[in-house]
Amino acid sequence: MTSTVSSREPILNRVRAATPDGAPSAADAQRSWSALPRDYIRRGSLSAPSRLELMMERLREYDAETSECRLEELPAAIGAQLTRSGRRTLVAPEGLPQEWLVPGFKWKIDHGSGNGSLDIGEIERADGVLTACFCGVADSGTVVLHHTAAEGRRVLTLLPDWHLCILRASQVVQTLPEYFSRSHESASAPALVTWISGPSATADIEMTRIKGVHGPRFLNVILVRDEDAAAT
Amino acid sequence: MNAAAAPHPVLDPAHAPPFPVAALPVLRNPQLRKNVAHAIDVIQAKRARLVEEKTDWQALRSAAAAIRAHALENLGAYLELFEARCTAAGGQVHWASDAAEARQIVLDLLRQENAAEVIKIKSMTSAEIQLNPFLESAGIEVFETDLAEIILQLGEDEPSHIVVPALHVNRSQVREIFARRMGIENLSDNPQALTAAARNYLREKFLRIPTAIGGANFLIAETGSVAVVESEGNGRMCLTLPRTLITLAGIEKILPRYQDLEVMLQVLARSATGERMNPYTSLWTGVRAGDGPERFHVVLLDNGRSRILARKNERQTLRCIRCAACMNACPVYRQTGGHAYGSVYPGPIGAILTPQLMQMRHAQSLPYASSLCGACFEVCPVKINIPEVLIDLRAVVTDQERLRIKRLFDPMYLGLRVAALVFSRAWLFHAAQRMARIGLRPFTKKDGWIHALPSIGAEWTQTRDLRGLPKQTFHAWWASRGKGVARENR
Repeated sequence: MTSTVSSREPILNRVRAATPDGAPSAADAQRSWSALPRDYIRRGSLSAPSRLELMMERLREYDAETSECRLEELPAAIGAQLTRSGRRTLVAPEGLPQEWLVPGFKWKIDHGSGNGSLDIGEIERADGVLTACFCGVADSGTVVLHHTAAEGRRVLTLLPDWHLCILRASQVVQTLPEYFSRSHESASAPALVTWISGPSATADIEMTRIKGVHGPRFLNVILVRDEDAAAT
Repeated sequence: MNAAAAPHPVLDPAHAPPFPVAALPVLRNPQLRKNVAHAIDVIQAKRARLVEEKTDWQALRSAAAAIRAHALENLGAYLELFEARCTAAGGQVHWASDAAEARQIVLDLLRQENAAEVIKIKSMTSAEIQLNPFLESAGIEVFETDLAEIILQLGEDEPSHIVVPALHVNRSQVREIFARRMGIENLSDNPQALTAAARNYLREKFLRIPTAIGGANFLIAETGSVAVVESEGNGRMCLTLPRTLITLAGIEKILPRYQDLEVMLQVLARSATGERMNPYTSLWTGVRAGDGPERFHVVLLDNGRSRILARKNERQTLRCIRCAACMNACPVYRQTGGHAYGSVYPGPIGAILTPQLMQMRHAQSLPYASSLCGACFEVCPVKINIPEVLIDLRAVVTDQERLRIKRLFDPMYLGLRVAALVFSRAWLFHAAQRMARIGLRPFTKKDGWIHALPSIGAEWTQTRDLRGLPKQTFHAWWASRGKGVARENR
C-alpha cells in the first residue's frame, strides 16, 4: 500500500497551507485552547438528595429500572432484583466484591484477557450481567463505564440482555463536565469509555422510540446510599 | 402510498439533476411529504423542549463553536498528534487524499484479512465515498447494521437524512421490505416487531463476521481516541466483537482534548435526536489485549476538505458535527425531503458542504435551495452561519456562469448588464423609469397590480403579482416637495 505512505505529506501540507496562522505543534495550540470560552455550567447546584433524585428520575425516563438501598443491604438488594427478574445465569467481571455474587444463582466470572476469560458464546447465553460503574451523571441519567476490573470488558455489558449496574451515591455527579473533572482527577484520560443512557433504543421507524435493539434490552440500576454521599 | 413510483434517487452530485428538477417527484408524492413532515415534527418538538430546559444552551453553543473553530485553525498540529497517539496505542493510521484512494485503502485492508463479508456502522463518510457499491463490485458482501441503513440497503433506497436516513419510509413500507428481503411471512407493521426482525437478522452476523467498518463522530488528538455516538448498540457490536476494525473519518473530525467531549456530547444528542444523551457513546484508544479488536485502522480522508479549510469564511462549514438540526429546522427540506439535494448530505449543511466538496464543479444549484430564512443558523450547535456561506457560494456560482461564453447572450445576463449600465447613470435611470411607466401601463389593472406579463416577463407573473409603477417616483416627489406640489397626485 504505497498510496497510504504518499498521501500523508500532501494532505498535511495542504492543511498547513490552508491555515497559515495555525500553531506549529499541538503543544503551541494547547495555549490558545486554554483560553477558549467556557461559560457553560461546569458545576451543578443541586443538593445531594436532589441530585440523586434527579439521577433516578432521568434513568427511569429513559426506560431504566431503578431501586435504592443502603451499603449493608446491597447483597440482599442484588438478590431481590435477580429474583424479581427471573434470571438464573449471570456473568460478572472479576473485580466485583465477593459478597455481590449472591448465592442461589449461577455466576460465571470473566477474568478479562487470556486464560479465564469467558468466550463470546458463554456471554451471549447468559441471562444477564452484573457490574459496577465509574460514575453516574444525573443531568442525562447516564452511567459511565471505564471498563476496569469491576466494570468488565466491553463485550460483557453488551451481549447479555439484562444489565444490572451498581451505582454508589458518591459516584453521582449532576453535570457532564463534573464527570470529566472526576475522570481527570482519577488518572490521565481513560482509554476505553462507554456512556450508557438507558437500554439500547431506536426511533428509526416513524420516530417511534423502541426500547431494546442490539445492546441489552433492560438496564437495571441499584443506587447505593454509601456514606461519603452525605458529605458532598 | 407508493414511493417506488418515484425515480430512484441519485445521490452522486456529479450525476444528480439540479435541485429544482430533483425536487419535483417529491413535491408530487404526498405520502413521502407526509412521512418527512411527521418525522421532523417529532424531532423538532423533542429538541425544542430539551433546549429550553438547558439554561446554559447558548453558552454551550458558543463553547462548541469555539472548540471546533480552534481545532480547524490548528488542524495540522492536531492531526499529527492524533496520529502519534493512536499509533502509540496500537492503531494504524492511513491517509487518503480523495474518495478513490480511501476506497482502495479499505479494500486492500479487507483483502489482507481475506474478508468476504463485512459489517458496517452507519457512516455518512462511507456514503460520501460510495464505499458500499465499490466493495460489492470487488466481491465483498456488506451488511449495514443500523436499522435505518438496513431498511435502505434491503429496500435498495438511498439516505434522505444524515441522522435518521430512512425517515422518508413509513412503517408499512418497512414491513413490505423486511417481509420480502428477510423472507418473513405474517410480519406486522408494528415498529416493535420490525425492530425485533432486524435484531434477529443481524445477531448471527455480529457474532460471526470478523471485520467491521465504521465512521467516527470525534477523533481526540490528545489521546488518539475515537468516539462513536449511537442508539441501538449495533455500533458497540461492530466496535467490540470483530477481530479487525476499520474507521473511516474526515480529517475535520478532530477535537483537541478528551475534555472537549463535555461540550460536544451535551449539544450533539439534544440537537440530533432530542435526547439528553443518546443511549450509547463509545470511546476507544488503539487496541487493548482481550477487549475488542486486535487490529485497528483509521483512514483519514481529505476529499476536498483541505480546500474548504483554505477559504476563511467557508471554513466554518467544517465545524459541522452532523447533528442534522439544520435540516430538521429547514422549511425547504421539510417540503422536498433529502433526495432532492442529490447528495448524501442534504438540507442546509448539504447545500453548503456538497458544492464545496465538489470544488464547485457540481451541485451548483444547491446554494439556491434555500430561502435564507436563517432557521438553520439559529439551531446549529456549532454556530455555522449557513445563510452567509450560502450567499458566498451563490457569488462563486454567479462568477463561474458569467465567465461562460453562452452567458453573453443569455437574456438574464444581458438584462443585468443593461441594468448595470442604467443604474450607473442618473439620466439613463430616469429615462428608463419613464419608459417603464409607459410600457407597463397597458398591463396594470385597476387595483394597481400587474397580474400577467407577456413573453419573458411571464416567468415572474406566473407565480406572483407585480405592483404597477407609481405615477410619481420618490425622486420626483422629493424634488417637488418645496414647491407645494408634492400632493398633486392625490
